Amino acid sequence: MSEEKRIKVLLAKLGVEVHWRGVITVAGMLRDAGMEVVYIGNAFPPEIIETAIQEGVDVIGVSTLGGNHLTLGGELLELAKQKGVKDSMVFVIGGVFPPYDIPKLKDVGFDGIFGPGATQEEIVGFIKDAVSKKLGK
Amino acid sequence: MSEEKTTKQILQEAEEKRKAERVPLYNPEALKQIKEKFDQWYNTKLREEDRKNWFVTPQTILGSEIPRGLLYTPLDVADLDYMQDIGFSGDEPYTRGIHPNMYRGRLFTVRQLAGFGGPEDTNERIKFLLAHGATGINIVFDLPTIQMYDSDDPMARGQVGWCGVAMDTVKDWEILFDGIPIDKISVSLVTHYPTNTAILFAMYLVMAERRGIPWDKLIGTVQNDIIMEEVVRSGAEYLPPKWVFKNQCDNIEFIRKNVPRWNFITYNGYNLREAGTSGVTEMAVAFTNAIDTLKELTGRGHDVDWICERLAFFWDPSMDFFEEVCRLRAARRLWYKIMKHQFNAKSPRSMWMRCHVQTSGISLTREEPLNNIVRAAYEALAAVLGGAQSMHVDSYDEAYSVPTEAAALVSVRTQQIIQAETGVTEVVDPLGGSFYVEWLTNEIEGRILDEIDEMQRLGGIVKVIETGWIHKKIADYAYKEQRKIEEGIIKIAGLNYFRAADVKLPEIDVFRYPEGVEERQRKKLQKIREERDNKEVQARLDELTRAARRGEPIIEYCIECARAMCTEGEMFKALKEAWGTWRPPAYW
Repeated sequence: MSEEKRIKVLLAKLGVEVHWRGVITVAGMLRDAGMEVVYIGNAFPPEIIETAIQEGVDVIGVSTLGGNHLTLGGELLELAKQKGVKDSMVFVIGGVFPPYDIPKLKDVGFDGIFGPGATQEEIVGFIKDAVSKKLGK
Repeated sequence: MSEEKTTKQILQEAEEKRKAERVPLYNPEALKQIKEKFDQWYNTKLREEDRKNWFVTPQTILGSEIPRGLLYTPLDVADLDYMQDIGFSGDEPYTRGIHPNMYRGRLFTVRQLAGFGGPEDTNERIKFLLAHGATGINIVFDLPTIQMYDSDDPMARGQVGWCGVAMDTVKDWEILFDGIPIDKISVSLVTHYPTNTAILFAMYLVMAERRGIPWDKLIGTVQNDIIMEEVVRSGAEYLPPKWVFKNQCDNIEFIRKNVPRWNFITYNGYNLREAGTSGVTEMAVAFTNAIDTLKELTGRGHDVDWICERLAFFWDPSMDFFEEVCRLRAARRLWYKIMKHQFNAKSPRSMWMRCHVQTSGISLTREEPLNNIVRAAYEALAAVLGGAQSMHVDSYDEAYSVPTEAAALVSVRTQQIIQAETGVTEVVDPLGGSFYVEWLTNEIEGRILDEIDEMQRLGGIVKVIETGWIHKKIADYAYKEQRKIEEGIIKIAGLNYFRAADVKLPEIDVFRYPEGVEERQRKKLQKIREERDNKEVQARLDELTRAARRGEPIIEYCIECARAMCTEGEMFKALKEAWGTWRPPAYW
């Protein structure tokens, strides 16, 4: 890929969720794939959206294994809509979700949803693809 | 710091002194003959490629990467001294087990985790597990409770009652244990952190008091581990490590004095390892923490045997079967040596490495989830062959959600099958004496001690936390492991090894959370805030802040707060005011 601009990703743990192994591993994957990664640790939707706008990121990735994927996940996308960035950023969520929630996460507006066992190839591939399709970059 | 001897130096000196007393198990004549025959066999019977690849490093989930030879013989343990290195069960050096009759005397406790929704919901699950033969209960808390926010705190929204039970005040504790005989069954409260232990255990004690049960009748465990508070979790707000470490020690002191049958600390290797580290590092970190705790408490003038009466560890058996068996043997022997030589313990109980184990969650897959039953069963078996005291078996559906009742039952049955159907519990330490097992036990013990030494040279447990050294170590391990899975170096059946051409997620029953928990908790809190004496509440909280600032043991003040119906979040806030907050250094 001969991109002039590196893909910039903001990563956060959603809410007070405690498990950080997944998000740190993904941060490493994205960095190794040449992306610029901003990891802000635990944060709630307002801080996530605000930081994402300030940093001018292409992608927001949130991680949660704690069951708040629909409540706070929904809030994140709602806020993105209000701030007018829903269509100018790619939204990805990773963690442990019951199967019946996956369609709901799509409805809420996440572009990419990744569970345990997702590989670097899948995640990096998805982000590159989505950035080019959704954002035309 | 540099003046002080490290544990490794102390143990080496002790070993040096006993060297002359060593009685080798194998006679030199026999060893000589074996060596001759071995060379012959090696050069004539073995294929060239096997000679070249004599050592192979098992690539397993959460493995320690210890290379293994093709065959083990007496030559690998040539200087074995039976009495010094292995001995009898219930006898020094406790390699074979802490009790003489081990599982014949007492089977390992089938101790399943329970916790979801509100206390009303979890109370029902506890009763279900007890009715099906669970012999102990582990209570897990939801994330806001673990992270010390009330259910009506903006920080808690959307997360109340998930992953554990929501607990805000003493009122919730009364509901949670309603109808459960807490003076008869052992209750493990998975209060991971020293800070939430001081708050939540205080509420437990007040609940017992209100039920008229004296504290000396209570049996159970809290976790109370700084590693959980400062390393393993991702949190929005952390308290500074030196205060948390002090609080860990203060909690021990208080509980030992006032709740004499309660296990006041469980050094939690489990979650550290799940976050990403080997079985060796898991134990080395827990031991380094334990050593520093004992140094602090003996420094306060306590007798080491008085403290160690109630100290326990929590380990994570993963997939490398023999490594897991040997790790428990190695840790028992090493702990014995530390207690004997570094702390001059006299009581056998102090020298016992007692442990609870939980099978590895990270080794489970979302693909073909029934395979997870097999994985957990091997892990559980390894822990039993290694001599664990109590166990939780992870359920096969944990890559989807909190376990369903059906899946939790399979976990209980897995343990009962080992106990009643396989016969393995009849013979103590059945793998002891195997050349391989004894060699690997020695190897692992040496590696744990080396890592303890490394951390002590870096300044001890608080230092390696403050500098982010541990955080980085596990982040690097986790990343490397993920790469190995993706590259197929670590093989996982159904995931990257013989993966089905078309992996479809199966139709499994998944746990559905009770509805309306957040609302219910919020209403309860609102009512409590209206009905309690809010002047009293503020006074107790102010006292807590002042006591924390002065460096007094906070748990005593938390009990006063709990009596006044202060909430968990209010107490946490009082502590933040006193100690300020801390952020771990960036670790990736």
